[in-house]
Amino acid sequence: MTTHLTTELAGPPPAPGIFDELSKREIRRAVLSGIAIPGYQVPFGSREMPVARGWGSGGLQVTLSLVSEKSRLKVIDQGEDAGVNAANLRRLVVNHVGCEEETDTREADIIQSRHRIPEQPLRDGQVLVLQVPGAEPLAGIVKEMDEQRRMHAEADYAKMWVRLYEDVVHNGLVTAAAGYPVLVEGRYIMTPSPIPRWDVPKLNGSQAITILSAGREKRIFAVPPHTHVVPLTFEDRPFEVEHTPGAACRLCGSADTYIVQEPARDGQFSTWACSDTDFCRRRRAGDAPATVPHVQPTALQAAQPSEPAPPALVQPAAQPARRDQEETA
Amino acid sequence: MGYAGVRGGQEAIVAAERLVAEARFGGGSGWLELGQITERLSAAVDRVMGEGGLWAPELAARAFRQAQGDVLEAAQLLRAHRSTLPRLGYGLPVGTRDLRAVRRISPAVRQPPGGQLLGRTTDYTPRVLDLTPDEQLRTQRPARSGRGAATASPRTHDAIEPDAALRAEGLLADRRVTTDPDPYDITRAPARPGAPRSARLSAMARAETGSLTHLWYMCSRAPRHDGPEIPLELRRGRLPLRVRHPHTGRPVVVAAARVTEARTVRPTGRPRTDGTRFDTGYGLCFGENEPKALAMAGLDLLVHRDPHTDRLEQKVLIALDGPEASGFLEHLKLPHYVDFRSTMERVQAVRAAAGGAR
Repeated sequence: MTTHLTTELAGPPPAPGIFDELSKREIRRAVLSGIAIPGYQVPFGSREMPVARGWGSGGLQVTLSLVSEKSRLKVIDQGEDAGVNAANLRRLVVNHVGCEEETDTREADIIQSRHRIPEQPLRDGQVLVLQVPGAEPLAGIVKEMDEQRRMHAEADYAKMWVRLYEDVVHNGLVTAAAGYPVLVEGRYIMTPSPIPRWDVPKLNGSQAITILSAGREKRIFAVPPHTHVVPLTFEDRPFEVEHTPGAACRLCGSADTYIVQEPARDGQFSTWACSDTDFCRRRRAGDAPATVPHVQPTALQAAQPSEPAPPALVQPAAQPARRDQEETA
Repeated sequence: MGYAGVRGGQEAIVAAERLVAEARFGGGSGWLELGQITERLSAAVDRVMGEGGLWAPELAARAFRQAQGDVLEAAQLLRAHRSTLPRLGYGLPVGTRDLRAVRRISPAVRQPPGGQLLGRTTDYTPRVLDLTPDEQLRTQRPARSGRGAATASPRTHDAIEPDAALRAEGLLADRRVTTDPDPYDITRAPARPGAPRSARLSAMARAETGSLTHLWYMCSRAPRHDGPEIPLELRRGRLPLRVRHPHTGRPVVVAAARVTEARTVRPTGRPRTDGTRFDTGYGLCFGENEPKALAMAGLDLLVHRDPHTDRLEQKVLIALDGPEASGFLEHLKLPHYVDFRSTMERVQAVRAAAGGAR
């Protein structure tokens, strides 16, 4: 009995090749800390991986620490399963652990992703691992790491609000593109890796666990299930997601997914395609939801500067706005 | 599960690897032996070990060969290999009194105890490209030196601290600590501003030599309030690695590593109030890498004196790592079309808000 128990506790014998079991245990502890304090950046002893720093070394460490032989693993880059970077990381993990490869978002246990959250709403039990190049939302505002830490510790985000305000004054709108700053559970400001604004509402109240891991910057942070994640904006400036009127995927015809421009033969950006290739393929096969409930009616509220009361998140529900752009021919 | 569609990326990768293999194993020249690399290209091997943070000449030579001569890439290979190794134990602390010097120069004094020991260096060799025909070079044998390197290592003089004289005069600000804290392990916990000096020294010991040189140069070429920097001593030699024997409990030497050590001083000028003494800086790195040890000592001193101006401490801890800097730079080659579309939408929105083209 005791032998059985200790074997259980010790976990599987170490698989040679990428990193040792004790290190994986350390990563899991950091992940648990991150889940316990949503949005807080947990420093960890990031190991060097057999990929360059900046190529998903953080995500890889988390995935390797969580994945087992029985896991179904999906790896995407820019929403695509077939991309070279996704293929490379998938090959590394599968060869190391011997887990199952998966492309169907619904079937995957662990999804490692760069820059996207799948269109298919994630369910309870799934883990989304996002690769993070820059973990610090305050990096562009104050340069000193000490000061950044102090601001987070004291929830002193006044300079962030000033930056957003200046943006509105100078440009007429908030120009933050991908990696839009969000407030997590009314406490920490977080930069949600560089996912497009389109994906930001999916973080809010998500059923799945989202783990964000920055290998080079040696920080792990997380959004546990059913957590409030609200983009920072002002009452009279609704949060805007990417939208181009009239544009739709040339393959599946979707206009309610995140689509990216593709230069046509004439070199002009004239066609569009889904970035989530799994969802696009299933849309064409009639195997995907006809509408995507990105935004739960009660979910999305704009975070406001918290004065005078402590962070009050209850605002009238707002749909993320889609700016109708003038066509710039 | 319709996996056929996701094979494209993988096939492209395999094809790319085939092209790399052609460069590594093809061509008409003979196979590059590890011995050739460790013997003839030792400077590169030392740099790979220093930046990789692992003393393993054979593995470093392998990495250097696999990386086709790219020192940074080789350091990355060595570090990734390091991650696979479980940590079995810790070496015992070693003082650099135990260093057996094969080279020791003291720029600050004319004649140190034991004399200036020039050792093997090209410092005073004219930088002339050797155009001797290859056939001749191939058969060339080194001229026998009168004394072997080992006899030129008077150990008694290595035991005398180079700063002993300054210390005796009371002219040296004492940076030694008596509490003997465990060194900060930057491979197990991230080094951030405010970390102890040991974190800074390890970060610099693993730093990319070029970046370290450049940062030192940036700090030192501009006029500062500080007095001039003058190295007390620069040494190269072997340091023993001792571990405690599991049965007897006695220290046993299990390996030796070549290191370069530098100590430097500056008078404590402004903005400090105390201008009556010298400050010291220290550098120690794997292998024969004199610029690295010197730059390290200079920066150790500058950070100690004024960590905040120009965020120098932060730069030393965060910005000097080779694999991190090059990895982040090269990640720009990864696809970015998702964020490009997001950014493009914002640029167009700003333009529209401004009333069309500005």
